[in-house]
Amino acid sequence: MSVVGWCEWLEHTPFVLAIAESTWLFPLIEGSHILTLPLSVGLIMIVDLRLLGLAFRDGPLSRIMPELLRWSKTGFAVMFVTGVLLFTTHAGQAYGNTFFRVKLVLLLTLGINAAAYQAIFYPRMAQWDQARRTPLGARICAGLSLVVWIGVIICGRTMAYQL
Amino acid sequence: MSALLAFVGWCSTAAPIVFLRDSRYGMPAVQSVHLVGITVFLAAVVVLDVRLAGVGMTDWSLPWLQRQLKPWALGAGALVVLSGVLIFLGTPSKYLGSNPFRVKMTVLGLAMLFHAGVVRRFIDSDPDSRPRRGHFLVAGVSLTLWFLAGWAGRAIAFVP
Repeated sequence: MSVVGWCEWLEHTPFVLAIAESTWLFPLIEGSHILTLPLSVGLIMIVDLRLLGLAFRDGPLSRIMPELLRWSKTGFAVMFVTGVLLFTTHAGQAYGNTFFRVKLVLLLTLGINAAAYQAIFYPRMAQWDQARRTPLGARICAGLSLVVWIGVIICGRTMAYQL
Repeated sequence: MSALLAFVGWCSTAAPIVFLRDSRYGMPAVQSVHLVGITVFLAAVVVLDVRLAGVGMTDWSLPWLQRQLKPWALGAGALVVLSGVLIFLGTPSKYLGSNPFRVKMTVLGLAMLFHAGVVRRFIDSDPDSRPRRGHFLVAGVSLTLWFLAGWAGRAIAFVP
């Protein structure tokens, strides 16, 4: 079966149809997806601002970052589940939508970026706790994260107009 | 009141607003700015309320957190208001006749009053991070009001 075919099959499974046709379920899932943005992406953006030296400057990074990430992880769990459910209800159209495709590429980029930060900079974070400036590489990761997350929100909001 | 409505009507026919409304990516772009602003603004609200409730961010004092977040919350808030006005002026009749929109504006007003009148006092009193029932309640009311405004905003698309 082709990917489009699979997407269309998915869209017409009884479980997904029940969500798409329900008066309350779809708005509830979509609302949850959007209103979990502050908890997931919003807190990540605050971490990025700290790494860039633009907020929380005089607080030790090695303590601030894990605390914010702990809360943000809960947010991302909700984002993922609601996002997958939203995709299933419009799978066929979403698959062919440019903004959806760009959003997925951006999310992949963010995943790689976060993994790179985790591997290279996270273990050494305590060393520059009190420093006003974080290493250049860490600032590049943070700047990239900030810009690409904004791109993800733009793509997500715009694709909703087209499905 | 009718003068205000006439002014709103006049604004909504102004060339830049017509361009935003009728161009393919005008409104999605303004809506995206609205959403990015909400994301940052509510993230700041979450950080403060989580600390006030005593369930997280316990290493830092509330006044310090407030000072650090304030410029970003105000900047994001300004983006939200500015983009919100543009969205409203795009199709004023849609919003003037919408029940969720009325709820959103009312709850938004309540959230701001509650912040200025109650939450601010708790922040200024610089409480330690021990969980207390009163603080938990105030944080809960604050979060409920701000997020209710968000839900009401989302409901505009689904409920008349």
